[in-house]
Amino acid sequence: MTEIGYIVLVIALLVAIFSAAASVIGVRVGSRRLVASARSSILAVFGLFTLALAIILYAFITKDFSVKIVAEHTSQNMPAVYTLSALYADKAGSIFFWGWLVSLFAALLVLQKRDNHQPGKAYALSILAIVEIFFLALVTFGVNVFAKHPSPPVDGFGLNPLLQNFGMLIHPPLLYLGFAGFAVVFALVMASLITRSTGAEWSLRVRGWTIFAWCTLGLGNLVGMWWSYNELGWGGYWAWDPVENVGLMPWLLGTAFLHSIAMRSQRNYLQTWGFCLIIFTFAFTLLSPFITHGGIESPLHGFYGSPFPPYILAAILVTLISSLALLYIRHRSFEKEKKPSSLISKEGAFLLTNIILVVLVLVIFTGTVLPRIVEAVAGVKIVIDRSFFDCVCGPIMLVVVFLMGVCPLLGWGKSAWHSIKRSFLYTLLAIMVIAIVILISGIGNWYAAAVMICGLPLFTICLEWYRGTRARQRTRKENCIRAFLSLLNSNRARYGGFLTHIGIILITLGVIASSFYSIEKTATLNTGESMNISGYTLTYDELMLKQDNMKVSAIASMLVDRNGRLVGIMHPSYDYWFGFQDYFAEVAVRTTPAEDLFISLVWTGYDPNDKSATFRVLVNPLIVWIWVGGGFFLLGGAIAFSSKGKQLYRVEG
Amino acid sequence: MKKRFLIGGGILVLVVGYLLFLSLGSSVSYYLTVSEFVDKGDQFYDTHVRVAGKVVGDSIDWSAEDLELRFAITEGGKTLSVIYNGAKPSGFKAGSDILVDGKYDSGKIFRASQLILKCPSKYEPED
Repeated sequence: MTEIGYIVLVIALLVAIFSAAASVIGVRVGSRRLVASARSSILAVFGLFTLALAIILYAFITKDFSVKIVAEHTSQNMPAVYTLSALYADKAGSIFFWGWLVSLFAALLVLQKRDNHQPGKAYALSILAIVEIFFLALVTFGVNVFAKHPSPPVDGFGLNPLLQNFGMLIHPPLLYLGFAGFAVVFALVMASLITRSTGAEWSLRVRGWTIFAWCTLGLGNLVGMWWSYNELGWGGYWAWDPVENVGLMPWLLGTAFLHSIAMRSQRNYLQTWGFCLIIFTFAFTLLSPFITHGGIESPLHGFYGSPFPPYILAAILVTLISSLALLYIRHRSFEKEKKPSSLISKEGAFLLTNIILVVLVLVIFTGTVLPRIVEAVAGVKIVIDRSFFDCVCGPIMLVVVFLMGVCPLLGWGKSAWHSIKRSFLYTLLAIMVIAIVILISGIGNWYAAAVMICGLPLFTICLEWYRGTRARQRTRKENCIRAFLSLLNSNRARYGGFLTHIGIILITLGVIASSFYSIEKTATLNTGESMNISGYTLTYDELMLKQDNMKVSAIASMLVDRNGRLVGIMHPSYDYWFGFQDYFAEVAVRTTPAEDLFISLVWTGYDPNDKSATFRVLVNPLIVWIWVGGGFFLLGGAIAFSSKGKQLYRVEG
Repeated sequence: MKKRFLIGGGILVLVVGYLLFLSLGSSVSYYLTVSEFVDKGDQFYDTHVRVAGKVVGDSIDWSAEDLELRFAITEGGKTLSVIYNGAKPSGFKAGSDILVDGKYDSGKIFRASQLILKCPSKYEPED
């Protein structure tokens, strides 16, 4: 069966090569038949890729341990839900899945009949076919996903318990959806460069794909944070690990790109800049497997020696050199670009946001790769710890959030001072007053700062909505809910964008609060003993031992008192997994809008006579708003994505 | 107009440069293997470093009472005693590859403020 799978992939590779060549040659010689057959072969690649995916999933479901990746990531008694997680847990498996998504999107592009007769479409499909060739070559010649296990075990090794979590089920596919989506955007943009259709209309053509890729990638990062918080037991959600940074950097570049095309479709700004952004966004998505699956990671992790890095580095360089060269050749024929006439205008604020986002990516990139560069140049190994990122990136990100509030208040072109004063003055005064009240009442200096930073964007968005709704109520005599909904509907790109901004503001609030006001305490307790933390009294009541065929769990009962009243019983557990011969903590979290109580059982002796256990307890304020913000982000993204073609011409920040 | 952008850009560069300067100094530390660290001896006394090695099997001693984890790490034939205040993280066992962040103190003991084990997203079975 797996031999068939391998052969299917090799055939898919050959078909993809044909498709890439046929598209270009067909357009060049003007052969419609050749272009049409290239299109059909894109569909064929998708069909073959899907067949290969079905074969590998079949091997996973039937627990065919003669296949190497099945033996390494699953076991007899593993829940079937995690079959997909087992696929992404493998480096070749995740590359395979990502490649499959690219082939799916390429097929969707073919089926989206619009522009099928245009040369631009043929070039875009050819570029996507090249991306497919890259992935197919990796999973056939780089690492064969269908490789046989040298000595098939009776039972598989099993999936790492940390990956057996709902978050891990959807985190990798969301990221890969984003990555593959940006590959499509890249292909479409490059095609418009090749065909010289570089007017404003190209930016409209890629808007839908860009919103889709940007939204899924953003959510993927957020789900990764949620998983880290709920599963890893350290109480945080972001550690500026290279593995996290490679997911964040393309998203930030994508954010800049999204805003640059919003501006292009409106005014003729930032032409070359926008092209550069998408080129780098795509190149940065390729950086992810390079870092995650062994490459420039720390030497200690180097033993994951995978054959990918040289291929991937080559792919990144080829992408950058060829597309930047193309941009250089074409940029002379661009129509003359407009420059923002004043920084204090909508386009000025957009430009500033764009520049700041790119600076932010540069800083993160520097922090991520600097240790490797220093090692190569000076022969000294160094580490940069997270305080660097917190210290530099934190303030920059806050500036971006603040600009989100400024932008809607500004008009296109030159804004007159008196109108700025009018729209800003009272808002700023009100926010200052609230901040000062917080400062005086001693709730916390950083909360005052959070109000200063998040208050303005939140207020301006609400103001926009209020004004729009009132205007509709007055002119159309609608009730306020109906007026509000039809307002959203009237310009989905704009108001969906506002919703994602609200999501980002909520996330910022949660991040500020949990970064500065988290309280942590570790204690070893015997049954009956209590500990106090931040107004809670936690009493360790009982320890139960439970065993199933995968693990033995020590489950603690913790009585939670708040102000002398029992508010809940929590059950953190400490599990010994037989297959891994290791302990994993399963945290218990009690969430309220104000704060999370987070309990991790980090040690116990599994001794029925001595039930003493060590608990690590955190009180993290406002953290739930990060996940609520994610909900707004998704909703806003979906609304903006659903905007119709004609609305695209009315995009405004 | 151009002048104004130059000034704006200049301010931006200065601010980011200042932030970089502020944080780089305090957040960079050396990264060594156990043998490199032990060979260079007292050179790293009282400076923040990261040391890479493997956990020595029979050295693990956890005191729940004091919340103190003592163990030794080894690499290249050299070993280093480590004290960490906190419980064993997942993946911490005999032979695990580990990174310890912290300082070497006068008693020839490494006081770790952070233990880093391999990330589960890169989890591969040992062959």
